[in-house]
Amino acid sequence: MTQPAPASTAPPPRRFQLPSLSTLGPLIALLIAVIVFSSQSPRFFSGTNFSLILQQISYTAVLAIGQTLIILIAGIDLSIGIVMALGGLVMAKLATQSGLNPLLAIGAGFLTTMFFGFLNSQIITRLRVPPFIATLGMLGIVTALNQTYSGSQTLSNLPPALTALGNTFKIGGTAITYGTVLMLVLYLIAWFVLSETAPGRHVYAVGNNPEAARLSGIPINRLTVTVYTVAGLLYGIAALILVARTGVGDPNAGQTDNLDSITAVVLGGTSLFGGRGNVLGTLLGAIIVGVFRNGLQLIGIASVYQSLITGILIIAAVALDQVSRRKG
Amino acid sequence: MTAPYNPPAPAAPLVMEARNLVKKYGSVIAMNGADFELRPGEILAVIGDNGAGKSSLIKALSGATIPDSGEMFLDGQQIAFRSPIDARRNGIETVYQDLAVAPAMTIAENLFLGREILKPGPLGRLFRLLDKKKMHDEATRHMQGLQFAIKSMRQPVETLSGGQRQGVAVARSAAFARHVVIMDEPTAALGVREGNMVLDLIRKVRDSGLPVILISHNMPHVFEVADRIHVHRMGKRAAILDPKRISMADTVSVMTGAIRPEDLSADMLAG
Ligand SMILES: Nc1ncnc2c1ncn2[C@@H]1O[C@H](COP(=O)(O)OP(=O)(O)O)[C@@H](O)[C@H]1O
Ligand SMILES: [Mg+2]
Repeated sequence: MTQPAPASTAPPPRRFQLPSLSTLGPLIALLIAVIVFSSQSPRFFSGTNFSLILQQISYTAVLAIGQTLIILIAGIDLSIGIVMALGGLVMAKLATQSGLNPLLAIGAGFLTTMFFGFLNSQIITRLRVPPFIATLGMLGIVTALNQTYSGSQTLSNLPPALTALGNTFKIGGTAITYGTVLMLVLYLIAWFVLSETAPGRHVYAVGNNPEAARLSGIPINRLTVTVYTVAGLLYGIAALILVARTGVGDPNAGQTDNLDSITAVVLGGTSLFGGRGNVLGTLLGAIIVGVFRNGLQLIGIASVYQSLITGILIIAAVALDQVSRRKG
Repeated sequence: MTAPYNPPAPAAPLVMEARNLVKKYGSVIAMNGADFELRPGEILAVIGDNGAGKSSLIKALSGATIPDSGEMFLDGQQIAFRSPIDARRNGIETVYQDLAVAPAMTIAENLFLGREILKPGPLGRLFRLLDKKKMHDEATRHMQGLQFAIKSMRQPVETLSGGQRQGVAVARSAAFARHVVIMDEPTAALGVREGNMVLDLIRKVRDSGLPVILISHNMPHVFEVADRIHVHRMGKRAAILDPKRISMADTVSVMTGAIRPEDLSADMLAG
């Protein structure tokens, strides 16, 4: 016969929805960074510079939407930057060397990045390879593919359709690129879908408790495939924004974006264990990374240290999150 | 609070019935000609030693495994479930032992997980847009109906105690079950007070008219709520006991094989 278990006392209900340490921390870090950089460089605090920061982060921020979706279902994508680079190469090469209609070239680029997202999902759901390994393998494969496909050459002289997102319009004297606007719109769409639609909630459920999701009749594999494929589409859009910004298809693009996108997600308070987080937090995370990069550059700190700061930021963010969770 | 259980006339149709179920895993025989009967509006406890085959029986009834042979009936109609979703479509809800809830999500979201209420019209059909207000209102109404004291349906489940969480799982099954609620060890991980809370909830589900299959190791709990006790032993049903007429000690003896069911006096057996 079973022993009665010791009476467990109900934990006191948590105080409601106070911004946790993990969302407050990054905001404070951002605030301090803005104050410090403003005092060190007269060029930092200006509409033009803020617009530049948004433009600089725009493609990474779009990648980070995809990374957020994937991390929410307790996955990870380490092939994110390299697949984006491939998308850019396909667009640039088809539009220049093959003379394809630029819009078709862009479409082919989107299909390429979606295909690799889809391929990742197939390796994960069918072959049961953990996402970390599946996408690490894909990183190696696509890196080689990029070099062979482009002959290690940068592709330039792109038609205007490929660089249109780099064009600007003015709001009160400050020039803003269409790429920046597209990035912000994509964040709003992602936020809306995640919080207001059934598939969006299923993303959280699958990351939160996959067994509960399965027993509730949520098709986990189908959702996984959808998430990685949609992420792939976002990599394609990021590729177009990047190509528009730089004016070239670059086989060496995207190499820091695994770290940068994960940093943005984590700084934004999304748990690497899945099921918790907010995509708008990721935007905040991407902005923090961008502000640090930009500010350090303006006050004349060498770029090696920028990568050092990003490294410290990501570790600090996760450590802070763990500490706040233990207390909570 | 406990409405007296009025045993339906023996002629009342069975809600669920299984005959001669067999399930083998290699040389292990998990079910060896198991029979099963569930009557309308009753709490039927299923007890048995570890390895007796209780879970195998329950999994067959809930569609989680497919028996090698044997027949199952729901309201007299023969059924063959191929998945838990199949069983659910037929109004059979299962509360699994290991708390099938998503802790970071709200109570309302957990209640409707996998069958969310969508906005009417194309917004719901095409864009699968949630009707959050309706979900919240219905969750509140349902939980109040079960007298489940919770302040807000917008609370994440992880802010609840273990008993309350199990309560959410029970409430969810009660909300969607049209025929049968199956619960596998719903009080196993709970303390005394919380266990009692869940037992209360189980009675309320029964009193609302739904029959409940309750798998449990906890004899006091079984004797507190069960209308009949199905004793499972070595892959089949050994006896159906009447908890009002047999002692806990004798029940345990039947379960372990120390007493053969044939040696019990006839009035200890439930019809
Ligand atoms: N999936 C399985 N694979 C192999 N053997 C199993 C499986 N499920 C159950 N069994 C075996 O069937 C027998 C009955 O198990 P089970 O139905 O879980 O009993 P209970 O729930 O009463 O403890 C046990 O000997 C168990 O080891
Ligand atoms: Mg069992």
